[in-house]
Order: sequence, then structure tokens, then C-alpha cells
Amino acid sequence: MALLKPRTEVKIGSLVLKNPVMTASGTFGYGEEYAPYIDLNRLGAVVVKGISLEPRRGNPPPRIMETPGGMLNAIGLQNVGVKAFIGDKLPWLRQFDTKIIVNIFGETLEEYGKVAAALSGVDGIHALEVNISCPNVQKGGHVFGCDPDASHGVTKIVKSATDLPVIVKLSPNVSDITEIARSCEAAGADALSLINTLLGMSIDIERRIPHLRNVTGGLSGPVVKPVAVRMVWNTVRAVSIPVIGIGGIMESDDALEFLIAGAKAVQVGTANFVNPKATMEIVEGIESYLVRHGIGDVNELIGSLRTE
Amino acid sequence: MGSSQDGIDRIDGTDWKDEYSMLTKADMTATILANAEVAPEHYLMKLAVSGAFRDAQPGQFVMLRPVGRGFPFLGRPLGIYSLAENGSGARIEILYRAAGRGTKVISTLCEGDRIEILGPLGNRFELKPGMKTAVLVAGGIGIAPLVFLAERLSAKATPEGPKMILYIGARDSANLLGIDRMKSFGAEVRVSTDDGSAGYEGPVTDLFREDLLSFNASKTEVFVCGPNPMLKRMGAIIADHPIRCQVLMEERMACGMGACLGCTIEVRTPTGVEYRQVCTDGPVFDLREIIWR
Ligand SMILES: Cc1cc2nc3c(=O)[nH]c(=O)nc-3n(C[C@H](O)[C@H](O)[C@H](O)COP(=O)(O)OP(=O)(O)OC[C@H]3O[C@@H](n4cnc5c(N)ncnc54)[C@H](O)[C@@H]3O)c2cc1C
Ligand SMILES: Cc1cc2nc3c(=O)[nH]c(=O)nc-3n(C[C@H](O)[C@H](O)[C@H](O)COP(=O)(O)O)c2cc1C
Ligand code: FES
Repeated sequence: MALLKPRTEVKIGSLVLKNPVMTASGTFGYGEEYAPYIDLNRLGAVVVKGISLEPRRGNPPPRIMETPGGMLNAIGLQNVGVKAFIGDKLPWLRQFDTKIIVNIFGETLEEYGKVAAALSGVDGIHALEVNISCPNVQKGGHVFGCDPDASHGVTKIVKSATDLPVIVKLSPNVSDITEIARSCEAAGADALSLINTLLGMSIDIERRIPHLRNVTGGLSGPVVKPVAVRMVWNTVRAVSIPVIGIGGIMESDDALEFLIAGAKAVQVGTANFVNPKATMEIVEGIESYLVRHGIGDVNELIGSLRTE
Repeated sequence: MGSSQDGIDRIDGTDWKDEYSMLTKADMTATILANAEVAPEHYLMKLAVSGAFRDAQPGQFVMLRPVGRGFPFLGRPLGIYSLAENGSGARIEILYRAAGRGTKVISTLCEGDRIEILGPLGNRFELKPGMKTAVLVAGGIGIAPLVFLAERLSAKATPEGPKMILYIGARDSANLLGIDRMKSFGAEVRVSTDDGSAGYEGPVTDLFREDLLSFNASKTEVFVCGPNPMLKRMGAIIADHPIRCQVLMEERMACGMGACLGCTIEVRTPTGVEYRQVCTDGPVFDLREIIWR
């Protein structure tokens, strides 16, 4: 008897994904770079590079450094801006049978609202992901996502500016991520995604200068995975909206950890840099795991962690 | 707006996907045929690669990463030293310096080992049709990609040219690499070393500067690759001369294909200082545009 292909469809609120594998913002450009390597139609969703109201140049170089089991980056949110995204990048992406999630950010509350509004009603955009790990220039550069009230404020303004499903992307650089998670949920977030990069630093001991011109940067890659799994596990028990797991996913085994911990879906980031086919291998790996374990629907696996 | 069979509207009726023949896992893995130390800390690696590399052009690079090791985590960008077709695949050579921890690990790989490879990546050197003289200026390991350029130029050369002149500098005579190949491609070679153990004692840019006025700017192209201090000196030397000079730039990379935006350098443009990605906007740049930190 032929084995039935397991069902891999997952729902993030009203957003239906053909499988739980997405790309993580900032690691997949606007998709074009990866077209020679993967069939974008086979992705659950594409999350594009963070978009702001106006184009941004980003930080001065050097911007990246390899560190044990991962990398530090201080790209500085370089992007083409919302207008060029809609005009130049989105038309290409729209041809694919996948969901397009636009990652947005701002430096002020108003800016978050304006970007969200500018993207609403645009054909081919299925959801917004709100990066709240940004400094608030009106509040002395205090990062929105590190404060429950500021996180609440951003979520609320984006929700009121759009009818699209809103996923709020949480920063791990907080003492209690569930507190932020709950305030975003209370403000109306449809889903949460975590984690963004962990703040880190690395030093060139010969020259006694930081490896990054920005001094500090965001840590990503396999080194962050245990931290991310723990935070996802904490968060799924603190909120009732769907949680998307991100952080150090290199292969399907890593993605499965997040699903078992309770994530409805996952995002693959830094892995794309070292293996441009990573997302495809993860999609296939999850399917074969389900077959091997006789699980007919990935939703049966989600949150199935057994603890005493 | 065109409409295709599956009912998805496409902007201009074309299906972009047709532009890509999808790269396979086999295109992303190479077999090491040799990996030998050819000078102190310098290695020559020969790789059997897929047909995807047959069209690689001088100036382009690959990202190399040992299979199944934790370190290095990211691939390392390395230029192509030579390329030959081989059946339906190709063979490429990489000449590299074990500069740090990542390239040191790569230098320990042996014949028969597999290595992950992405490429060919980046833009090639531009070749002006009427070029009569190609001037190649190499500092240290910067010779590597220029050898591939010379290989191609010599294959295309006619009695009218281009004639090739190589200016090559290194720390000492042991670190002068690629000269025999350059001579076999017909290049005239001028040598300098920091310690005077071969050729002129001093920076290779001194030799180039002495000859600069003898070049006909409209029929000469300069190609330069080497450490930043040397590139900076080259920039100063050609600043008041109309000669065109293409430079291969280096920066730390994560993806090599324009996705991470990590490999930024600063350039001067008519509208001011701008950022460029070395992997997709380069690695070939106009030397005059570069802003040195
Ligand atoms: C397009 C391109 C083509 C290149 N072609 C060649 C080549 O043909 N042969 C060759 O020997 N080298 C080449 N390089 C340089 C090579 O990539 C670096 O030497 C290598 O990445 C260093 O890695 P590592 O881990 O050994 O050194 P690390 O331990 O990371 O660093 C050792 C030293 O090298 C510097 N460095 C690190 N990464 C780079 C980098 N990407 N580019 C330049 N310097 C770097 C560091 O600042 C440090 O001073 C090229 C680089 C680029 C961007
Ligand atoms: C180079 C780089 C750029 C990134 N840019 C963004 C961004 O623009 N917006 C965002 O929300 N997250 C950004 N991230 C964070 C990732 O989306 C992801 O949350 C993080 O890297 C952890 O996942 P990983 O370990 O799989 O990479 C970026 C990460 C990297 C490495
Ligand atoms: S190395 Fe990633 S953009 Fe150039």
C-alpha cells in the first residue's frame, strides 16, 4: 500500500500555509536571490527583508562577523523602502504560489502605522510581520520590543492601520519574553514570531577594535537555537495566539524541535546563507519524519512535547 | 498584464521562472582533486565541479565550505585561478593563502574529500573591445584571479593584442606565485619584493608608476588585485590620469549572493557616498570610486 502523503497545512490565525516552513526576514532578500536554488512555490511563506517608510542605507561596514556556531550582524535594516518594494520587488514575488509576509519596522509609532497602511490592500501581500526590535527615536532610542507598553503601542497602531493578519516579532533581549508576548496579544496581535537576534559583540584582539563598526550586533545561527526553543516553549504556554519559532534552524530536526515545543510554524534564517537549499530540505525532512512516525497531519505533532 | 495557464497574472506575460535552470545539490558540491602547499602558507586546490561552472568568467568567485564540520560555519569567498572544461563538468583551481582560521581548515582537506561550493558568483571584469594592452597589477595572493584573466586574454589574443604586462609584488621571493603561468600566457613580468630578494626592492606600485605615462589610456586597461594599502596607493597614482582601472574588492561575506547585505563597501558617486555589496555589485569595481577607510 502506498503511503499517504501527510498533511502539512497549518493555520496562523486566518493565514493558511501549505506547510510550516517560511524564510526569516533579512536572510532571504526579496526572494529573487534564491530562485536559482529553490522552488519558491514549495515554501509555506516568504518573509521579506524588513521594510521602512523610506529607503535606508544601513550601517557602515564591516557589518558581519562569524562567531562560534553562528554570526553577528549589524546590517542596520538597509532596505529599498515601501514604495520601491511594492513597485519593483513585489511583482516578481507575486508569481509564486506561496504566501508573502512583509516584515516592517519604524523609528516612531507613527512610522509603524504608516508603513502598515501603505502595504494594506496591496495585491499579493498576505500578512505583516512587525519587527519591534528597533530603537524608538522619540524615546531616547529605547527599543520598542524591550518594553511591554511600547510593544503594546506598536501592535495597536499597526492593527488599526491594516486588515492584514499581524504577526509581532519579539526580541529575545528581555528578561521575561512572556510579559511582552502577553501585551502584544492584548493589543490584538494575530500571532507572534520569535526570536529575533540576540545582542552580542566580538573583538579583534590584534587591533583592539570591535569586529563590527557598529560595535554590537545581532547573533544568529545554530548557537541561538536552545535559547530560541526555550523562549518559544515559554511563550506558547503564556498566550493563546499562534507562535512561530525562529532561531538557528539548520535542518528539519531543528524545525521539528520548535514544532514539538508548540510553534505552529518556523522560519529559517542564517541557514539560507550557508545552504541555499536549506528550506527545501526542511520541508522534505518534516514530511519524512511524519511518515516515519505514522503521523497523518503535522498539527498532531505541534505542541506534542511530553514533560513530567 | 499577461495571464498564464495557471491563472496567475504576470506583469508582462513572461514567466520569470524560465530564466532559471535550478541548481542541484551536485552543483553545490565539489570533489577535491588536490590541495597542496605551493609556498609557505599558500595552497593550490584543484576541484572537480559540475557543468554549472563552465561559464565562469575572470573576476568571479566561489564560496567554499568544508562538509560536515562545525567550523568554519560560513563559506569563505575565494577567486577562481583557472578553469577548464572536463566532460560535462569542469575543473577549477583556487590559489589561496591560509590567512586565518577558516582558510587554515580548508588547507587541511585532502584529495578525495568533498567540499561545499557555491558559484560562480559576482561580476566579471569588463573587457573593452579595442584593448591593446592589459596591465595587471598584483600584490601577494592578489595574483590568483588575475591569472584566470590572463588565461582568458591569451586564449582570445590576436597579433593585434592585447599585450599583457604583469606587475607583481610580494613580501619576498618565496611568496611570488603564478609567474610561470603568467609567462606561459605571454605576459611580460615586472617583479618587486619588500625585502629585495627578487626584482625591485619596494612596493610594486612604484614599478607601475614609472611606466604609467608610457601607456595609451584609451587603449589600455588596468586590472588590480591585492591588499588594501596597495590598492589605495594605486588609486592615488592613477588619480590624475585618464586610464581605466578595475579593482577586485574584498569584504567579509556570509551568503555571497546578495541576500545578507553583509559585504558592504563605500563608494563615491555623483550623488555622494553610497554603499555597494561586494558580492553582487562587485567584486569588480572602478578603482576611482572606492572610498578607503
Ligand atoms: C571576492 C573575493 C575573492 C577572494 N579571492 C581570494 C583568493 O583567490 N585567494 C585568497 O587567498 N583569498 C581570497 N579572498 C580572501 C579570503 O576570502 C579571505 O582571506 C578569507 O575569507 C579569510 O578567512 P579566514 O577564516 O581564513 O580568516 P579570518 O580568521 O576570518 O581572518 C584573517 C584575516 O583575513 C581578513 N579577512 C577575513 N575575511 C576576509 C575576506 N572575505 N576578504 C578579505 N579579507 C578577509 C581578516 O580581516 C583578517 O585580517 C577573496 C575574498 C573575496 C571577498
Ligand atoms: C543578516 C541578517 C539580517 C536580518 N534582518 C532582519 C530584518 O530586517 N528584520 C527582522 O525582523 N529580522 C531580521 N533578522 C533576524 C532573522 O530574521 C532571525 O530572526 C534571526 O536571524 C534568528 O534566526 P536564524 O538563527 O535562523 O538566523 C536578520 C538576521 C540576519 C542574520
Ligand atoms: S555576502 Fe551576503 S550580500 Fe554579499
